[in-house]
Amino acid sequence: MDIFGSFALILALLAAVYAFGAGIAGIITRRPLLTKSARQAGMAVFVLITLAVGALEYFFFTDNFTIAYVAEHSNRALPAFYKFAALWSGQEGSLLFWSWLLSIYAFLALFLNRKKHPELMPYVGVVVAGVQTFFLTLNTFVATPFRVLAASDGAGLMHLARLSEGSGLNPLLQYPEMVIHPPMLYLGYTGFTIPFAFALAALLGRYPGEKWIHITRRWTMVAWGFQSVGILLGAHWAYSVLAFSGYWSWDPVENASLLPWITGTAFLHSVMMQEKRGMMKVWNVWLVFTTFMLSILGTFLTRSGVVSSVHAFAQSGIGPWFIAFLGIILAVCLAAWWKNRDYLRSDNQLDSLVSRESSFLFNNLILLAACFAILWGTLFPVFSEWITGSKISVGPPFYNKVNIPIALFLLLLTGIGPLLAWRKTSFDALKRNFAWPLAGGLAAGVGAAVSGFRDIYALMCLILSVFVVLTIGSEFFRGARVIARRDGLNLLSSVVELTTRNTRRYGGYVVHLGMVLIFIGIAGTPFNKDIQKEMGPGDRMSVGPYTILCQNFDQVSNGNYQSERATLEVFRNGRSEMMLYPERRFFLASQVTETMVAIQSSPLRDLYVVYAGRSQDDGRPVIHAYINPLVKWIWFGGIVVVFGTILALLPNRRTPLLQHAPEPAWRDAIAPATSVGAAIGAASARGPSRVASAVGGVIRRMSSDE
Amino acid sequence: MSECGVSNSIKAAPTAAWWRGRPASVVLMLCAALALMGTALYAQQTERAKEVGKKLMCVCGCGQVLVYCNHVGCAYSSGELKELDAHVAHGDSDDGILSAFVGEYGLTVLSEPPASGFNWFAWIMPVLAPLLALLLIWHLVRRWRQRAALASAGAPQISAEFLARAHHESAPDDDA
Repeated sequence: MDIFGSFALILALLAAVYAFGAGIAGIITRRPLLTKSARQAGMAVFVLITLAVGALEYFFFTDNFTIAYVAEHSNRALPAFYKFAALWSGQEGSLLFWSWLLSIYAFLALFLNRKKHPELMPYVGVVVAGVQTFFLTLNTFVATPFRVLAASDGAGLMHLARLSEGSGLNPLLQYPEMVIHPPMLYLGYTGFTIPFAFALAALLGRYPGEKWIHITRRWTMVAWGFQSVGILLGAHWAYSVLAFSGYWSWDPVENASLLPWITGTAFLHSVMMQEKRGMMKVWNVWLVFTTFMLSILGTFLTRSGVVSSVHAFAQSGIGPWFIAFLGIILAVCLAAWWKNRDYLRSDNQLDSLVSRESSFLFNNLILLAACFAILWGTLFPVFSEWITGSKISVGPPFYNKVNIPIALFLLLLTGIGPLLAWRKTSFDALKRNFAWPLAGGLAAGVGAAVSGFRDIYALMCLILSVFVVLTIGSEFFRGARVIARRDGLNLLSSVVELTTRNTRRYGGYVVHLGMVLIFIGIAGTPFNKDIQKEMGPGDRMSVGPYTILCQNFDQVSNGNYQSERATLEVFRNGRSEMMLYPERRFFLASQVTETMVAIQSSPLRDLYVVYAGRSQDDGRPVIHAYINPLVKWIWFGGIVVVFGTILALLPNRRTPLLQHAPEPAWRDAIAPATSVGAAIGAASARGPSRVASAVGGVIRRMSSDE
Repeated sequence: MSECGVSNSIKAAPTAAWWRGRPASVVLMLCAALALMGTALYAQQTERAKEVGKKLMCVCGCGQVLVYCNHVGCAYSSGELKELDAHVAHGDSDDGILSAFVGEYGLTVLSEPPASGFNWFAWIMPVLAPLLALLLIWHLVRRWRQRAALASAGAPQISAEFLARAHHESAPDDDA
């Protein structure tokens, strides 16, 4: 079976190489049969990698400890769903998993577009096959998961060796979220390959029109959505497992996941300028390229050991492969851009600084500033050691100082941007749109300050959050009110009607709302409290509004671990509210001890209790209790972000108004033209009424989805 | 948050049958495990020690700020915390405490880079880079506006009446 898995991987590599080579040959010779065979080879890669993944999972479920990877990451008593998740718990398996997810994306992209975009898809197939070839080379020759254990006998001959038991899965990974979090994060990382492939393909093939940017935007949104879920699940895992009472510690591996997410966010905003106004084409192409390269850079950082991280894979020799791959990607992107830079010339110019376009420009600037600051902080210890010879740390205080002001400015733009008009916003419109949200935000700030809210960042976050929520609310309200008046619906039905008619716009607002909730959750951090105390049965301690009574300590065991558990009763206002059971587990196979945190979560605050161990002085158990305000808002905000993303991906519901809109007059007029000036010029030859129709058409095209 | 894949070395771990045959070993193992659970914990700590502790890192390599390091059996954080409390009890200033830690563990014990020498770049670059980008945007916007002015000079004139009609025909825009 190990030969079956290895063989499937080699065939997958050959198929990818063929898809790459035949794809290029098909483009050059323009022979459809070559192009078709390249596409089919690209789809076959998915089938072959699926067989390899199936083979490895089979080894896990049959406890085949002849396979080194299985012996290192599993044991007999490991529950079945963790055996499944063990696939991505180490270097070799996670790289195979990466290749598999990429092959799923590639299959979908090639299959769904098999009869569309015949000029574009051969290029897309070549780019995807190139990326797959790299990862399959690693899977086959550098980090194969099908390595078998062997031992030499007295005569020096090698024989297959089988261990009676494996070393077990890393205890930190034995948590339900670890079954979901890595796949989500990997779906994000690998998903950015598809927009990269479309962007590079459009540039290389000089694909006419803006259709490719619509396709790229949708694939980016899918990858971005998965990346968001992955990051949030990871944060929740850290909060629930790592016992430091936080959800984000600016670890290099965490940062690596955030970097492509930030540039992806920037692209999802700036792409609108290209769709509506034909601007920022070079910028958008480079944002897509950068997002993909940051995904690869993140993988390099995680796997090479170049930066130290508790989350990272063990140091290995795989780093140079990624550096070389990054170099190749950068060279290809630079060459493609330089050769075709005239293809990316803007159709329009910026008319006013007080406009939607300029808000997107600033939004992109701020997002890239955050991205740069995080990347700089992550890599700075390496630079510092190279230049000064001494190691330094760049810990959470650095990132907080640099990024909090940036994040607050971004929050401000989240409120301002959507209310500005394209091209130019008048002062009257500014007053009309912003007066109430601004007044509401300031009133909330004054109220909070009067009631003793003193942390300046938290206070600014509150003011801006209220401001943004009110701007979003006003957008929904104004649109819904028009529909309610016209169609006689109630306000709630009108909101649903409004949203389904323009899912992209209102889905985007829902995502913004989710981000505001996340910001509010983060703003609770300065108000954290904690207390640590040695406790025996009958002892009490107080934290926030709670009193914790220690009832007893007991021991629990099963085949996988042995645990020491505290039983704590929690009182509030003298009344018993709940029981909490923080644990320390000793995992038998890996001989490692880990904590299991007990959390009582409510919208206002979390009571977070850690059984921290035993005192060095007298051996008594030590309990560490934290009060973490508003953490639940972060998880709820995450759900709202995901909901908004899904909403934005749904197609618009057609309305009778749009179906019967008198379009042909202006459509004819602007068909050959892409800019307002050119459209008007083309229409002016047909008479004054055509000019007005053309201007109306251009404005409508700017403001309608695709 | 993690991409987690800390490799474990291969050990010939005992089977279930092995466990059943050796009850005494199981008890000993359990005692050893519980003893291991109880290592390296130091109950702390004054508010000032907590504040100063946020400026220090645990030097075990976990990347955690000292007062948040909660690793089971961490051989470093409890020692550092004891040392920190001793300095605080002695009445040392914050700078004095940080200098003492740097003297003992090196610069890596500080949770943020010192704003001196080459490490000054750690602080200045996140400010400088956006400023440079802002200058670039300003330059681009100026160029765009110049081009827009040139383009509009050659475009046909549109009367207020036409513009009003065009706006009347257009639908509300649709982006977040």
